[in-house]
Amino acid sequence: MVDNLIHLIEIIIGTILVGAFGILFGLLTKGIDRKLAAHMQWRIGPPIIQPFRDVKKLFCKENIVPRNAVTWLYNSAPIICLASTIAVLLYIPLGSIPPVLGGYGDVILILYLLTIPSLAMVAGGFASGSPFATVGAQREMVLMMSYEFPLATTVIALGWKISTLHPGSVAFSLSTFARYPVWNIMGPFGIIGAAILLVVMLLVTTGEITKVPFDIAEAETEIAEGLFVEYSGKNLGLFYLADAVKTVVMASLIVALFFPYNLSTYLASHISLPTIAWQTVDFLFYLFKIEIVIFFAMTFIRVSVARFKVDQVVRVYWGYLTLAALIALLLIALDVLL
Amino acid sequence: MNPLGNFTTPSGFWNPILWLLVFLILLLLAYLIWKRGEESYKRGTMQTDPFLSGYGPESKEAIHVRAGNIYWGFTRALKGYYSFLRKIHTGIINDYVGWYIGILALMLLLYLLWGGS
Repeated sequence: MVDNLIHLIEIIIGTILVGAFGILFGLLTKGIDRKLAAHMQWRIGPPIIQPFRDVKKLFCKENIVPRNAVTWLYNSAPIICLASTIAVLLYIPLGSIPPVLGGYGDVILILYLLTIPSLAMVAGGFASGSPFATVGAQREMVLMMSYEFPLATTVIALGWKISTLHPGSVAFSLSTFARYPVWNIMGPFGIIGAAILLVVMLLVTTGEITKVPFDIAEAETEIAEGLFVEYSGKNLGLFYLADAVKTVVMASLIVALFFPYNLSTYLASHISLPTIAWQTVDFLFYLFKIEIVIFFAMTFIRVSVARFKVDQVVRVYWGYLTLAALIALLLIALDVLL
Repeated sequence: MNPLGNFTTPSGFWNPILWLLVFLILLLLAYLIWKRGEESYKRGTMQTDPFLSGYGPESKEAIHVRAGNIYWGFTRALKGYYSFLRKIHTGIINDYVGWYIGILALMLLLYLLWGGS
């Protein structure tokens, strides 16, 4: 009983710490992304701490509720969006630091929980009582339904491979993915399959965090920020924070699935350091991996291509990426059979 | 019931009670952040009019986007599939019964070939 209570207190403290980490590092990541994008376009760009200033400014602005809005839903959507986004981060390891809810949810749960922030955004868009926001909300729904299929195929393909090699293990637990890293368990066909799945996952991430070319729900030049068109002040600030955390969540998920390596595993036998020092090294290495993933899933893509149309997004996800994921699944199956 | 116990399946697990607990904590955290922001705005002024990108003021009904548009992206992208489905839906009962009997016969055949043990 006392042990359970102590564990619950640990979970509560961990939740608050991870929440603070997600928000602060998410904002910093947004700053790095904007700086890198600016340099790639031969601009100087804003300072890295600009997102912090943006949020501070938004919280000083008036919080306008439109005349036709459903007030309670309009105001609660950003709160639910931020809370549900941070909740997903609690299931994903941060370097060698185990997740706060590590033993209490698997990767399939993460896939389901990822839909809640999008649904909160959709609810907020519909509650705005604006035609632009409604169109944005409808587009967000289409986007969400589009990337679910390739995302699920990716996770199932990797989990299935692990379950065939290690029948006793809990295949969809992220700790199992960390114990049997994808690249270590694949044969030649499997490696090709996993590489395809990694590309699919990077492109799913771009859609999940609604960035170019999949930012159809916001699309400033077409529908004037879409589902956020009526949002201002602290409500918009909270959506901004949720977007920052979601970027960290998606990058962390890719790291956990494809690159769960820690430096301590390989170097601890050569260099003698206290456990806390190795945890710090692993944590910094994890942050580095996150930045690399975000560069390829967000910055590089968004400065390279233009926005897709709505039907093109569906065709890309349901057509090309699902096909690619299924081919990868076949390659991994071939790897198991041969 | 132990609140720290998981629901398990052969390949996965989750604990809804703990998720609910942390979600409530995070809702409180997000609300506290939200509460720190500016509360006021000018009620009943033009500030609260919906953004219509320069079009004249319209009634609520006139600017409403119908939910029927929600799947436009899907129906457009998967046009071939949907037009095939639409062709099947002729509205003639004989066709529907024909499909029903045909599928039933196919399933029986599959059952006879591979079903049972």
